[in-house]
Amino acid sequence: MNRRGFLGLASALALWTLPAAADPVQKPFRIYMALWRGWEDAAQGFKDYFTNQNIPVELIIRDAGQDRSKLPEFVAEAKQLGVDLVFTWGTTVTVDMLGTYDKVDPAKHITDIPAVFAIVSQPDGAKVVPDLSSSRRNIAGTSYLVPMETQVNLLQSYRPVRRLGMVYNPLEKNSLVAADELRALGRRDGFELVVAPVDVVDGKPVVASIAPKVAGLKQAGVDFLYIPPDTFLNVNRDILTGAALAEKIPSFAAAENPVLFSKAMFGGVYRYYTVGQLTAYKAEQILVHRKAPADLPIEPPKRLSIIINMPVVRALEIYPPMGLLGLAEVVDTPEEPRQ
Amino acid sequence: MRLDSSRSLLIRLLMLAVLVLVPPMGLASFMALDRFEQGMNPELDRKAAAVGRDLVVQVERAVAYGIPVEKLVGVDEFFAQVLSGNPEIRYLGITGTDGTILFLRGALGGQLADHYREQAGSLSDKDGATLQIGDFVDLALPVKGRSGLVGSVHVGFDQGYISSRLFSIFYDIAVVLGASLIVAFEILLFVVVFNVSGPMKLVAEVIGQGRKGDFSHMPGIRADDEVGHFARVFNASMRKVDSAYRGLMAYIDEVRTGHFDRGAAERAGDIADRVKFLFRFDASGAPGFLREKLSSDVRLPLFLFVFAEEISRSFLPLFAQSLPRRMTLLTPELMIALPIAVFMAGIALGSLWGGAVTERLGSRRVFQIGLVPAVLGCLMSGLSQSVIELSLWRGITGLGYALVTVACQGYISKATNDGNRATGLGSYVGAVLSAALCGTAIGGVMADRIGFAPSFFVSAGLVVVSGLLLGYLLEKVPTSPDLPPAAEGDPKGLSRIFLNWRFTVLVLFAAIPAKIALTGYFFFLVPLVLWGTEHTLPEIARIMVLYPLVMLVVSYYATRFADQWGWRVGQIAVGGILGGVGILLAALFDGTWPLMLGIVFLGAAHGMSASPQLALIPDICWVECQHYGRTQVLALLRTLERIGSVVGPLLAAVFWPLWGAEGAIVAIGSVVLGMAAVFAMLAGRYGDGPHLESEEGAQ
Repeated sequence: MNRRGFLGLASALALWTLPAAADPVQKPFRIYMALWRGWEDAAQGFKDYFTNQNIPVELIIRDAGQDRSKLPEFVAEAKQLGVDLVFTWGTTVTVDMLGTYDKVDPAKHITDIPAVFAIVSQPDGAKVVPDLSSSRRNIAGTSYLVPMETQVNLLQSYRPVRRLGMVYNPLEKNSLVAADELRALGRRDGFELVVAPVDVVDGKPVVASIAPKVAGLKQAGVDFLYIPPDTFLNVNRDILTGAALAEKIPSFAAAENPVLFSKAMFGGVYRYYTVGQLTAYKAEQILVHRKAPADLPIEPPKRLSIIINMPVVRALEIYPPMGLLGLAEVVDTPEEPRQ
Repeated sequence: MRLDSSRSLLIRLLMLAVLVLVPPMGLASFMALDRFEQGMNPELDRKAAAVGRDLVVQVERAVAYGIPVEKLVGVDEFFAQVLSGNPEIRYLGITGTDGTILFLRGALGGQLADHYREQAGSLSDKDGATLQIGDFVDLALPVKGRSGLVGSVHVGFDQGYISSRLFSIFYDIAVVLGASLIVAFEILLFVVVFNVSGPMKLVAEVIGQGRKGDFSHMPGIRADDEVGHFARVFNASMRKVDSAYRGLMAYIDEVRTGHFDRGAAERAGDIADRVKFLFRFDASGAPGFLREKLSSDVRLPLFLFVFAEEISRSFLPLFAQSLPRRMTLLTPELMIALPIAVFMAGIALGSLWGGAVTERLGSRRVFQIGLVPAVLGCLMSGLSQSVIELSLWRGITGLGYALVTVACQGYISKATNDGNRATGLGSYVGAVLSAALCGTAIGGVMADRIGFAPSFFVSAGLVVVSGLLLGYLLEKVPTSPDLPPAAEGDPKGLSRIFLNWRFTVLVLFAAIPAKIALTGYFFFLVPLVLWGTEHTLPEIARIMVLYPLVMLVVSYYATRFADQWGWRVGQIAVGGILGGVGILLAALFDGTWPLMLGIVFLGAAHGMSASPQLALIPDICWVECQHYGRTQVLALLRTLERIGSVVGPLLAAVFWPLWGAEGAIVAIGSVVLGMAAVFAMLAGRYGDGPHLESEEGAQ
């Protein structure tokens, strides 16, 4: 009997369920992973959790490559394979495959198979769940965005801001929600939000308009740039953060990629890897401990990561306060020449 | 039992206690302080070095990331945090390689700049350097970057810190020593009265009776010591006299019945009558035991009980503040005030009920009944997890407190007669105040050392000890069933007393504001404000001790003054105004001194006016006292003034969020002063003496 069997036995005893789980030749759980932009940290964290916990899983990995039209095929495939659980990555994949709580169509969406979602910016705002305490249906998940108030407090603790700039893709709902929240907090804290949506041509955001938008914000006198958790901007993060650095605007990112792998100055995020692990923990609750997905709250990881991108800090010469520096993870390139 | 009769013995004993306790404790403390001072210096050095090293690591990390040392951001806040966590560190700074001050917090740059410049050259390669600058000791640690030295971190501490810490420890020891002396005195008093002077008085009483020809009683003393031996010998003599009397009477009877000579028989009868007339012997065949209730019997248990209850005096609002407040219906300030207010309400209810119950069950039973909620309340207060829970248990403690104190008062008033009742009650007040003194002082030190909750457990333990002691005492001194309550008039229609404007004015504008000042200002605001201005628990307790101390002294003289001059109304009026002024004084000036002055004023004010308030009642309510009974009228006053006790903390808690702490003090002071002024104005028209026409006319 392998360890999985022991676990199953233990949980079966604990829950007083039938001894099905104690079957010594337990098949691995089959999990259908529907991704949006390839294998990244959240997916890795999800996978590693099962490895670390010795839970045998068979992962069926599908990447939509940011093409929405592939998602109905994923739904059909997952149903046909009869998998044990579906993992959805990002707001678009989640909404298209699982539906919103007020519009679920068993023909178009996955309903009978339990599902967990990750990297959905606004699980309630996007109507994936009615509220964060419970999905009230066959799905569970995690949130990954730091509450906007925490983000703004963090930003202000680096350097008080009077005029906050934000470039965003007007086609993405997350960014609109973020802009509204920032405006409200600005009224409280006494800063002004200046928004610059990127140009949209033929229903597609135009990459070439990013740098001019940043320049426009500089002209408008913004003293900080807020980078929302926006897929389009994530893809084009080098252009955006490069433009901000060229214009000498310090930037704060709500997601980790612009800070970790590009030139945003700092960010307050929950690491994708940790979010992936937490999502896997939810999956474990459903598959191993037989909990109903509706009983699992949608929650973010406990630990906030403050990431400071030191080369950008040095280039801008806007140094972090000692207190913040003491708490932060610092991204630094050893090759970078030091003064 | 008059204290005065054994005063010289007690004073000698007290002096002995002082001689026995103080020198060894003083010597031990002195040696401990010396050791402490010796150990403190290197300890401070180590601490400064540890803090400095930690700062250097953080600064070097920033410098390693390419932040020039002079361009560090947020250093001031960063230093502020370290300074607030380490009160012994006076200042923190960073200097450049040439000794210029880049950042400094906690001291003025001008004091240090020259020293730093001088030091700059010599620092380069050393691990650190210590410099004496005035009262400061400055530790400089080098900060190294990639290219060598970039500056240094300075940690400064104050030489005065050690002496101020020593002073505070010395104070703690003095407080504990003072309190132990009072406890020792109380125990000595008890031992002397219970074992020596009490029995002697009983013997004297019996001898006195014997001188008048009354041989019907023997002193009922049971003890195994010399006193007991004496009593047994004495009683044997008494029995001898008794049996001699009975032998004589039997002989006379024999003569009377058996003698044939009628004249002789009559003569013998005359002699018998004469003997019976001159001497009285017990009719039952043997002299009965004389036992007496002494008001001092309950003094030690009462002292211990009040001591236990007063332990939480200085920290109750702070404890409430530290507990989670689950209910959001009330403001945080009101939640903090709640335990005090509910405690006071518990006392009010308990006294109302306790008075009636004591008449029926007797003081001993009520004392025992009261111990249950008192112990439970203290224990559960310590275990409370929320303010609501704490308030509930405080209320129950208040109930127990009231029952026990009412029972003690009842016992004392039963054990005394009109002649020595004042002394008996004086002994009661003395025990309560000296217990308040010790309890408050020790409570602060204790809470500081062992925490809030364990201090409540100590309270509970002391209450148990007090209960056991009283149980033992009352068993040893079997009490005759309490006399049926003296027919003291009919309390029905007592509410008509409010038609007597003098009484109503006394309650509304003298008794109630005094309690508002006590609970709102002293019990609630003072600990919170002192805590907010960063006083330690023992310091708060030391300051709060001033109240019972001043009150003890002032009330001693005020009572004599009032008895001599009969200026009771004036004392109440002046006392009220003094209290109000004292509280306002505290808010007019910054710092701790005015607050202490306010407490001294309040102690003086209450010491001056508390007993005249009660003494005034027979004067201004002469008719009602006749009609309803004086006890009833006095009890009504005590109950009504407790409205002020309950309202006080709540009122202060309402003022606090409106105008801040100082504003709340001003507001409470104004309320108290305003009401006292009204009393002073109206009291001018009280007239004097009991012969008040309006009441006479009402009859």
